[in-house]
Amino acid sequence: MEQINLLLEGFSHALTPMNLLWVLLGALLGTAVGVLPGLGSAMAVALLLPITFSLDPTAAFIMFAGVYYGGLFGDSTSGILLNTPGNSSAIASTFEGHRMARSGLAAKALATAAVGAFIGGLLATTVVVFFAPTLVKLATAFGPAEYFALAVFAFLAISSVVSDSIIKGLAALAIGLVFALVGVDGPSGTIRYTLGLPQLFDGISIVVITVGLLALGEVLHIASRIHRDPDAVKIKPSGRPRLHRHDIKKALPAWLRGTAFGLPFGIIPAGGSEVPTFLAYGTEKRLAKRRGDIEFGQMGSIRGVAAPEAAANATAGTAMGALLALGLPTSATAAIMIAAFQQYGMQPGPLLFERSGPMVWTLLASLFIGLVILLILNMQFAVLWAKLLLVPRHYLYAGITVLSVLGVYAISAAILDLWILLGVGLLGFVMRRYEIPLAPVLIAVILGPLAETELRRALTVSEGDIGILVSSPITIVLYSILVITVAFTAWKHIRSRKQTEAESASASELTSV
Amino acid sequence: MSTQTPDAVKAGGSQPSISPTQASEPNRFWAGRSELIVPALVLALAGFLTWQTATMQVLGSSVPGPQFFPTIVCVLLYAVVIAHTVQILRSPRGLDESTSESDQNAGHTMYSDWKTVGMVVGGVAGFILLLPVAGWIISAAALFWVVARALGSKRALFDVSIAVLFSSVIQLAFNAGLGLNLPSGFLEGLL
Repeated sequence: MEQINLLLEGFSHALTPMNLLWVLLGALLGTAVGVLPGLGSAMAVALLLPITFSLDPTAAFIMFAGVYYGGLFGDSTSGILLNTPGNSSAIASTFEGHRMARSGLAAKALATAAVGAFIGGLLATTVVVFFAPTLVKLATAFGPAEYFALAVFAFLAISSVVSDSIIKGLAALAIGLVFALVGVDGPSGTIRYTLGLPQLFDGISIVVITVGLLALGEVLHIASRIHRDPDAVKIKPSGRPRLHRHDIKKALPAWLRGTAFGLPFGIIPAGGSEVPTFLAYGTEKRLAKRRGDIEFGQMGSIRGVAAPEAAANATAGTAMGALLALGLPTSATAAIMIAAFQQYGMQPGPLLFERSGPMVWTLLASLFIGLVILLILNMQFAVLWAKLLLVPRHYLYAGITVLSVLGVYAISAAILDLWILLGVGLLGFVMRRYEIPLAPVLIAVILGPLAETELRRALTVSEGDIGILVSSPITIVLYSILVITVAFTAWKHIRSRKQTEAESASASELTSV
Repeated sequence: MSTQTPDAVKAGGSQPSISPTQASEPNRFWAGRSELIVPALVLALAGFLTWQTATMQVLGSSVPGPQFFPTIVCVLLYAVVIAHTVQILRSPRGLDESTSESDQNAGHTMYSDWKTVGMVVGGVAGFILLLPVAGWIISAAALFWVVARALGSKRALFDVSIAVLFSSVIQLAFNAGLGLNLPSGFLEGLL
């Protein structure tokens, strides 16, 4: 098999001391931001972007991938111990994980989560290694209409799935598209939406937008809540995280089921791992009910931790595949990594495998190395990581604020960028306040220019005939999947809304009696 | 219906013109509807985009030209504004499953802490104004100190040392390690 040779070659490049150091750094940083509630891998990669200009691209991406995976390893730690998930991807594993911790099984829950993340990531990365070349071959057949369909698919899928309301998702998407329009229009050379400011001719830097939305926006959000929300109660884990054979026997099917949920969601732009983790959790819950498992929901079930954790990391694995082979970002972190590729003048997609083959395979090999490092870091030192939660939050967020302005200033030493940062930060705050998802903004900023160029190219070729957009089998398949996805989520939203209405109606009846 | 009491909804619906400060029970209409600021912002954005697209000086004669895609985005923006406004007016905050719980006791916990947010925003704005004059070390340290203070740090003097240490380490790492220059302001020459 050709892939195995390429991968082995990748390993030979990845196993140099310097590259191992980058993997380790990424893993450490990723776990740290994962453990800390409110910080995530997307914010970490965004803050790292400007600092990595002086690194060579391979080193930078090895580190980013470590951060991405690491964030999904670390996020369950604070969820289990504090009942505050480090990230939205760990909400589902927090339910049972924290129950286990309260029943004195914190160490076991941490170990289950770490092994689950490892298995999910390992299987997903293996799938990517074997299927990436197929995806690449498929993508080389893509023309303008197909790329436009892909972008539309990403736009609508992310807006409808991530948020509790499709309208809010679309609002975020539209805001992102406006950001993407600023600057000189490539094909015609027309200056658009710059208010005459020459600094904006190249568009608003993606670093400014991501750092503003994810880092400064989060700081402002925390500022609005920090004197309001009560502190969480922390549970001290005792004993070393270790799994006995009967634990493994119990958790293994759940790990595999979780992975199966996660794998497809890495390729669908559904905003990362939130949806598959909940699907995995829901399945375990139903299975436990059928089995008559009394642990689930009471003492805390090991399966309820295992499945969502595996699902989360499986998503991250296949998301890397979609990112590298198609250039399709399926989560916020993946979107920022595409921005990073663009900073280096590379465009992820079929051409990347051709032109920078060694780098891609080195990156894939270091994903495997990173998973092993992360497993060790999170199994053996979970208790140490939990100590990070002792860092006073005011210093943490003060540091993030300073790093935000540093990162933005470092791009081009422009004061204007800092003012835009403040504006985008305020926007990020307002969006968080009203629960408008941020991921669609990032996807729109990344894919907006692509969508516009390909749409115009397709219509130029067809001389204005819109029929070209649905003229090939690939586009028809993409649009059909899209229609099904949107219809399904709309149906789900309506159903859950009816449910809450019924619940609140019965609740108000109770109070009025 | 929402978790609000029925008469609050009725009052809000029939007397939308009462300004929140004049009403005997302030915030009746705006309670749960402050989200209207979001469609307002999007509307402003849509207006800006429409105006700029209409007055754009188009170069070249390619079809579809540079105004084609922005027009689609404009339509999307206006559609979102209308749908979002209708959604907020029909069902104030609390109908969505994720917020219903916190809205049950919609006391002070739902309101943002504007003082703290204001301090952080002021800190960043101050930093931007101060940076060209005072240089990185002083302005970044000041920013760190202000944000830590706003978020509840009580040890003012200790914070000063942490802030200065933090900004100095960054300055050293950037100038020596990465070869990027951060402005040193009036300390130039001393460093």
